Amino acid sequence: MKRERHTMDEIFRWPLLLGGLILVGLASALFGDDGWDALSWAALAIPLAVLGWKASRQPHLPGS
Amino acid sequence: MTAQSVKWWSLVHKWTSLVCTLFLLMLCITGLPLIFHDEIDELFKSEASARELPADTPQAPLSRLVDAAKARYPQRYLQVLGWDDDRANVVNVFLSATPEAPPGQRFLKLSFDSRTAELIGEDTQQGGLMSAIRIFHRDMFLGLPGELFLGVMGLLFVIAIVSGIMLYAPFMRRLNFGTVRRIGASRVKWLDLHNLIGGVTLIWLLAVGVTGVINTISLPLFSAWRAEVMPELIAPHLGKPPLAKWADVDDVMAAARRALDGNTPASIIFPTVARFGTPRHFIVWTKGTTPITSRLFTPAMLDAETGQLVTARGLPWYLRALQVSRPLHFGDYGSLPLKIIWALFDLAAIVVLASGVYLWLGKRKSPRVPTRAQDGPPVVATSGIRP
Repeated sequence: MKRERHTMDEIFRWPLLLGGLILVGLASALFGDDGWDALSWAALAIPLAVLGWKASRQPHLPGS
Repeated sequence: MTAQSVKWWSLVHKWTSLVCTLFLLMLCITGLPLIFHDEIDELFKSEASARELPADTPQAPLSRLVDAAKARYPQRYLQVLGWDDDRANVVNVFLSATPEAPPGQRFLKLSFDSRTAELIGEDTQQGGLMSAIRIFHRDMFLGLPGELFLGVMGLLFVIAIVSGIMLYAPFMRRLNFGTVRRIGASRVKWLDLHNLIGGVTLIWLLAVGVTGVINTISLPLFSAWRAEVMPELIAPHLGKPPLAKWADVDDVMAAARRALDGNTPASIIFPTVARFGTPRHFIVWTKGTTPITSRLFTPAMLDAETGQLVTARGLPWYLRALQVSRPLHFGDYGSLPLKIIWALFDLAAIVVLASGVYLWLGKRKSPRVPTRAQDGPPVVATSGIRP
């Protein structure tokens, strides 16, 4: 049951990475159409996909 | 973070969220259909398009459209002429029932084919469900006070998000990213989901929240700009009798085009006593042609009597900021896929809000779980759950 304490780096790594993607997605569609739009869709879809994946994972034991 | 500061942030998170959650839920739910308002409008109201004509068919003089509109409704007041955003070769002329055209009064919209000056549609703009949803989302039918109130709720929401970030670390100290503990109390599961979804959608929530708040002060911002530029424009005309005749609208447009070469015209505000115009000027609103500058509007003011250019200065920074913030709130700047993404984020926001309420309700009912002091900060005090 004893788990290691995460450092700040570890805690915020994924939220920061996904937040960065969202930022790219929000901005790129402003810059242009076509390619910029596609970049925006991709950059915004990834965090949503991660969300769907993590939220739908099967039950598991803590610490696993 | 010290135990004391965790306690402080959790108080901030609790109270800012509690006050704004109900309104934010309303905004998320009414916002959902609004994301797709173009598609929904199209579904229920098919507007006539302009006829198929050879591509090089010249545009008719605007004066023919204006004269036709005036001849059809001589008892009404000409207010605005606008190039249709969605329909090629369609120009809409808006007429009001009274000269002042108070906010909320619906204009009669006449749509013309801009090449033949033929009337192709008439719309009293009586609204309907989508329009009601839009107004409720903006001000809950309470006008400017309602709009500003929702702005304050939006600010609280932003504070709730920031305090949520501060609380994320103490909660996640012993959990891997994205862990959802499904064994034991459902509170634990929902706490994990709240943290996961909130943590991932954070930047989107902030972007839409902050731009929403900026939108709520758009009326005061425009009033501030008016107060800045109007006295100087109106001064030369003070005390003069009302105009008997306006300059020719096509001359006005030609002068505006010369002044703002490279911009596309978006609309013409006719001389009016209504608040969006001036009695002594035509205002021609133009927009840029690149994806970014097409969001930025620049007005040209032209003398109502002579049609001469008076000024064509760009808008101040705060109105530019407002204009750029609009798409970031509406999500309407990257075609249908972006709208769908917007809707998914909106649904995620609803889950974050609802789970927040659930966690608060649950905490009030259940006794607190005792904590081990060295186990970390008393986050437990807000959640009843050991991180």
